[in-house]
Amino acid sequence: MFRKGATLLYGFWILVLIAILLVPKFVDPYWVVFLLLLFMYVGIGSSFNITAGYLGYVNLGHYVFFGISAYGFAILYSKGVPFVICMATGVLVTLIFATLISYPFLRLKGGYFALANFGLIKLFELVAGSLRDFTGGTQGISLTPGYRPFQTYYMFLGVALLTIFVCYWIPKSKFGLALFSIREDEEVAEAFGINVNRRKMGAYVLSSVFPALLGAGYAWYSAYIDPEVVFGTDKALLPVTMVMLGGTGTFLGPIFGAIFMLIIEEFLWTSTWLPVWIKSLHLTMLGLILASVGIFSPGGLVTLSPCAAFFRKVGMGRFLGSSHKTLNVG
Amino acid sequence: MAQLQIFIQLILAGVLQGGTYALAAFGLSLIFCIANVLNITHGEFLMLGGLVTYIIFGATGWNPFLILLIVIPLFVCVGFAYQKIFMKPILNRPPRQLLFSSIVVTVGIATAIEDTTSFIWGPTVKGVSFSMPAIMAGGIVISSLRLTILLSIIALTVFLHFYLKKSFMGKAIRAILQNREGATVIGINVPRVVTFVFGIAISLAAVAGVFYVMQFTIGPFIGLPLTIRYIAIVMLGGSGSLIGSLVGGLILGVAETFAGFFLGSHWSLTIAFFTLVLVLLLKPEGLFKHV
Repeated sequence: MFRKGATLLYGFWILVLIAILLVPKFVDPYWVVFLLLLFMYVGIGSSFNITAGYLGYVNLGHYVFFGISAYGFAILYSKGVPFVICMATGVLVTLIFATLISYPFLRLKGGYFALANFGLIKLFELVAGSLRDFTGGTQGISLTPGYRPFQTYYMFLGVALLTIFVCYWIPKSKFGLALFSIREDEEVAEAFGINVNRRKMGAYVLSSVFPALLGAGYAWYSAYIDPEVVFGTDKALLPVTMVMLGGTGTFLGPIFGAIFMLIIEEFLWTSTWLPVWIKSLHLTMLGLILASVGIFSPGGLVTLSPCAAFFRKVGMGRFLGSSHKTLNVG
Repeated sequence: MAQLQIFIQLILAGVLQGGTYALAAFGLSLIFCIANVLNITHGEFLMLGGLVTYIIFGATGWNPFLILLIVIPLFVCVGFAYQKIFMKPILNRPPRQLLFSSIVVTVGIATAIEDTTSFIWGPTVKGVSFSMPAIMAGGIVISSLRLTILLSIIALTVFLHFYLKKSFMGKAIRAILQNREGATVIGINVPRVVTFVFGIAISLAAVAGVFYVMQFTIGPFIGLPLTIRYIAIVMLGGSGSLIGSLVGGLILGVAETFAGFFLGSHWSLTIAFFTLVLVLLLKPEGLFKHV
């Protein structure tokens, strides 16, 4: 039933997937770590997109779920509890936290919601640094070190694919339609019989699952966490800026943003042909790029005409809007 | 007796801290209400205000209160320029898009300012070693520098209050806060007021920076944590309200000082945020309504 182009496209994606699965066998470990981080940011960014893009509530503190789960995992794992139980506990604690905090926070609207969540990151950094007996304070927690980029690679790949799948499913589902209508107008959505509070809470908790999985995995991979690593403000803002750079509310945006940003970070700033002063000012350049994206291309990079034209050409044009299968409410 | 003295000293320190917070927080809440922009760059302007004071003080050795007279007009201009270059292109977007764009743009500029300052002036902390004699009153030691700062903050707040109540621009700001469409209908030039608000708000942040650098030290990375504190204050007090920012700032300042004294300084912000979550649960719209 597929058009010919579509069949080709599916074949292409299957080949890409096989290539990604085989990558660790053939390439340098350096690239394995690079891809691993890419998967991590795709996962965090895409799940951030569930609340920010689909629901319209900009959760600036999305990274908090990553950190809570990482701490939950590390505290148990350092006491010798088996891996699976640690992981489950980390994710469960995050889910409970997300459910509890969603009640007061989702009563806030727009900017206030963003602000309150932003404050949450700092709060957790401080709490993690203060509870010395429990979290090891600012010293952090060290786990038994080990070399495990390959296991982590497949784990993060799995989580990233799961996130991408969920982000692909949401716009096609009834749940996604409810989210879109809440985003456009909350009162109207309520008048049409959508249980607004339950849907908002559902989206918030759902979006917290993926960073929780990645957080626990990251703690296991790096074998060391401290408040600065998992709750640092600059680290928390990185996935958010990736999504906004790529394009919020689109399926492709977070993926494209993460790839774009990591490639810039890896290649441009480690290259030898750039003058030194530009490289030492690389954060300034990044900031200015961000600001100009915000000013000139509010929909993100994927909606810029050359990029959009490219995606249309390869048959992915329908992913440029926020809802790609159902009627366009955006 | 000694207990009471400690108590009074802590209250004084907290009030002073809160006053410094309130000045900058009011600017943030004005920008948030009038322009609908979430200005994450706000703390950076405080840092820049402190940095300018540090540079001028290092070069000339003038009294920092005199430097205030240079800093205020300078940062009004900076605010105008900031609005013209970065904010004007995004201000007319629909609300949700404006929120996204304002976050992207202000986070980008904040990163750029932090990185550039740490590149040029180095990441070390800087302070202005300016001291005034201490006053002893009934066993309570009050630094007269801090007292002068407190008095200046009070004077500025009173001035702002009357400015908002009496002057034409102040009335225009209040009109926009109450009803934007209505204000446009009766002929208020909203874009001009918005530009003006950016000027006021950013110079207020810089003034807070001058007071900050006199009491503590500044480094290139203090901006973001301070912005988060202001955000807490704005939400605590209710946005667009001078008295709200003042009360929010004082609550936060006193809570931080007490927590810092009794539990250790690393607990101070935590207490502030628990207060915030409590207020959100009980009174999500903040303690005060605007102006």
